[in-house]
Amino acid sequence: MSEFEPKIVVFCCNWCSYAGADGAGVARLQMPPNFRIIRTMCSARVDPEFILRSLAKGADGVVVLGCHPADCHYIGGNYRARRRIALIRMVIEQYGFDPKRLKLEWVSASEGEKFQKTLTDFVSTIKELGPTPLQEGS
Amino acid sequence: MSFFDRFRNKNKGAAVKASAAKTSAAVKKEVKKDSKQAAPAACSSKTLDSVAAAQLQPADLGELLPGAPPNGKINLAIYWAAACGGCDVSLLDVNERILTIGDMANIVMWPIAADGKEHDIAEMEDGSITVSIISGAVRNSENEHMVKLLRKKSAIVVCYGACACFGGSPSLANLIPGGKDELLDYVYRKTPTTANFQEDYHKGKPVIPQTEFKAPEGKLTLPVLYDTVKTLDQVIDVDYYVPGCPPLQESISHLLKAVADFAYNGVPLPPKGATVGVVTKTLCDMCPRRKEYRRITKIVEPHEIDVDPDLCLMDQGILCLGPATVGGCNARCTRAGQPCRGCYGPTVAVQEQGASALTAIASLFPVLDDDATMGEDSIIDIMSTIKDPLGYFYAYTMGKSLIKRSVTEKGGK
Repeated sequence: MSEFEPKIVVFCCNWCSYAGADGAGVARLQMPPNFRIIRTMCSARVDPEFILRSLAKGADGVVVLGCHPADCHYIGGNYRARRRIALIRMVIEQYGFDPKRLKLEWVSASEGEKFQKTLTDFVSTIKELGPTPLQEGS
Repeated sequence: MSFFDRFRNKNKGAAVKASAAKTSAAVKKEVKKDSKQAAPAACSSKTLDSVAAAQLQPADLGELLPGAPPNGKINLAIYWAAACGGCDVSLLDVNERILTIGDMANIVMWPIAADGKEHDIAEMEDGSITVSIISGAVRNSENEHMVKLLRKKSAIVVCYGACACFGGSPSLANLIPGGKDELLDYVYRKTPTTANFQEDYHKGKPVIPQTEFKAPEGKLTLPVLYDTVKTLDQVIDVDYYVPGCPPLQESISHLLKAVADFAYNGVPLPPKGATVGVVTKTLCDMCPRRKEYRRITKIVEPHEIDVDPDLCLMDQGILCLGPATVGGCNARCTRAGQPCRGCYGPTVAVQEQGASALTAIASLFPVLDDDATMGEDSIIDIMSTIKDPLGYFYAYTMGKSLIKRSVTEKGGK
């Protein structure tokens, strides 16, 4: 059997993390190809419904990346985001998912290396956890 | 450890309390600072007139239901699947019109009130029932068989009540990881009353209902319980939805008007898939309570405080699902000082009522002075003051949620 290749959805905020991802690409940092980035205007734009929908459609993990605290383009978006993520993590844990399947991290526009490290670590975490426990049609 | 124990043991640590005390002190500081500011413009724009205008008015039933319709009486079936019976009782809530319903319709089936058995329905011609009003979720094989039968025999199927529309309370059983086996085991062996009973009368050989039993006289059967409770529209095609636990008088009047107009005057029915008896905006729009600096610093239950009759419940620290729930009930609960639990379901634009309630409520936790430097652990401490978020935010909509039921991690390599 071939090795499990996870599918990961990454939500990047437009102002910091997406630029950080860009930086990682420009610097040609090596990263596993398991993730798909969705750009949002702010990490607070990531409605918990997006996360649940990703998981419901078979994503093995979800990453939300935003600006560092005190660095948000919209002053306080990331403070809201992390409160929601903390709560939605409790929710997915109650559903029975491993809470490690949802990650929130701060990546600034200059932190291409941190982007690479975050994603590489997350992919290996998910590989350890195995495929999503959600079965199709259940 | 069983599902129930897991919840019971959650958030028991004393360490959590200590750090929560610390954060609540920081919160107080922030509140003091902010309470000086004027309330945001959007919050103060609500007036008595705008609240009154937002109320759902009962449908004007006029001179409807005067004797039999021109084309003869219609056939009406009312059925309950996995429901408590509250919906059946709520159907009576049409004032004096109830006396004339019998003129309009033959009630061919209504398990709670009238005769009419499964074989009576099965003998009818397809499509000969004009309206079937079905309440309750689908949680066993009998429910599924009956709703499929009624669908076949009916021209219109109305999905009535929160359980039929969204799964309601029965669908919270979807969160039991062991499914029906764990459920039956708990109910028949673990609850204090049944544990004693089994211990006293069936020691070592507990009695749990079987779906089949061979008696000398023949085979006896019981319906098969399902692992996953389904909403009505996940099993059959549904024409209209009337949400609510139970639907309130205003919503019912709109349903009755639609059916009666169709039966007497041939007025076309609403488009298929319509939700009858709701407005487009959320419950907050109908709620007369005054909103001020709406921030939650400490979560309380209504019985723990003197609830201010005019102030928004969220302002007082009571978690209310109003911002995520579609209006239709004219805010009956919040007027009485009880928070909205979300029985009317999400607004049209949203599928996940729980997620949108969660979004709204998480945003109400204020940004603190030291938010920029505090670690993620402190945030988790703040947010875990909400006990059982899944059960609270999805109290009525688990069956309709995106994930639908509990999952079990199988572990990787």
